[in-house]
Amino acid sequence: MDKIISIINKVLENNDKSYDGIFTEATSLRNDIGFDSLDLAELTVNIEEEYGVDIFEDGFVETVGDIMTKTSN
Amino acid sequence: MDIVKNIILTGGSKGLGLEIATYLLNSGYRLHVINRSMPKELEQLQKKHSDKLFVHLFDLENAAELLGFLKTKFPASEPIHGFVNNAALAYDDIVTNLNLESLEKMYRVNVFTPMILTKFVLRNMLYNKISGSIIHISSISVHTGYKGLSMYASTKGALEAFSKNTAREWGQRGIRSNALVAGFMETEMSGTLSDDQRNRIFNRTSLKKPTSKESVAAMVEFLLNEKAASVTGQNIFVDNGTI
Repeated sequence: MDKIISIINKVLENNDKSYDGIFTEATSLRNDIGFDSLDLAELTVNIEEEYGVDIFEDGFVETVGDIMTKTSN
Repeated sequence: MDIVKNIILTGGSKGLGLEIATYLLNSGYRLHVINRSMPKELEQLQKKHSDKLFVHLFDLENAAELLGFLKTKFPASEPIHGFVNNAALAYDDIVTNLNLESLEKMYRVNVFTPMILTKFVLRNMLYNKISGSIIHISSISVHTGYKGLSMYASTKGALEAFSKNTAREWGQRGIRSNALVAGFMETEMSGTLSDDQRNRIFNRTSLKKPTSKESVAAMVEFLLNEKAASVTGQNIFVDNGTI
C-alpha cells in the first residue's frame, strides 16, 4: 500500500493538489482524494509503469483498495 | 531546440511520409518511423541519419496487436514529444460499390490504429510530463467533395473530429492536437487518377497546381515546434487554396 500511496501523492503534487486525510482501502480516489479523470489517467500510467498492470483496462476503479486488488493479481 | 525531440511518424517510406521524415531529420529531431516495409528510399535515409532515424516494421492494419507492439518498442522512460499520423489507405470507389472488407481495412489503418497510437502517446506524455504535439494528416476531400472519395474522406473527417476533441480533453496538460488538411499532391496515392481528373482537381485550387509536399512537411515541423505553442484543436489547410 505504501508504494501506491507514494504514487498517489506524486500525482497530487504534479497537479498542485493535496490530501490531508488518512489512506485506507476504502478511501475514494475521486470523492476523498479529489482526483478528476485526467488525474486518474496520470495515476494509471504511473501504476502501470510500476506494476505492469493497466488498472482501468477492465472496469471502474473507485478506491485505494481497488488498486491494491488489481495490482496484486 | 533545447533537447533532441523524439517523434513517432507512421508511414514514412514514400510520398508525403518520406518528405516529412526527411524534413524532420534535417531539422534535428530523432525520428521513429512505424512502417510496413523497408523500401530502399527509407534505407538510404536511415544510412544518412543512422543516429537519429529508427524504423519499426509493423503492419498498421493490425489494430489488435498494435498496443503490445508499441509497449515493446517504446518504454515509458523514453519520452515521446510528438506523433505524426500520416499512414493511410485510400480505398476509392463510388458508394454503390461499397465493399465492407475494404472499408473495414481502411478504417483500421486510417482511424482505429491512429486512435490507439494516440492513446499510447498521450500516456507516455503524461508519464513524462511532456507538453507534446499530435498531428493528424487529413485531406481536402473532407471539405470539398470528390467523386469516388466519400468513404476515404469519411475516415479523415473522423480524424479531424478526433483531433479537435483530443485537443479539448488534454489541453489542460499542455498537450496539443491539430489536423493538417493537405491538398492533392503528386504522390502514389493520387496516382490512379487520369490526367483529366488531375487537371480538374488542380483547377479547383487558387494556385492551379498540386500542393507542395515540402510545404506540408514544413507545416508539420511548425506544429511540432514550440513556436506553435498556441495552436491547438485546429484544422490547418495546406492545399493551394482549394475553392
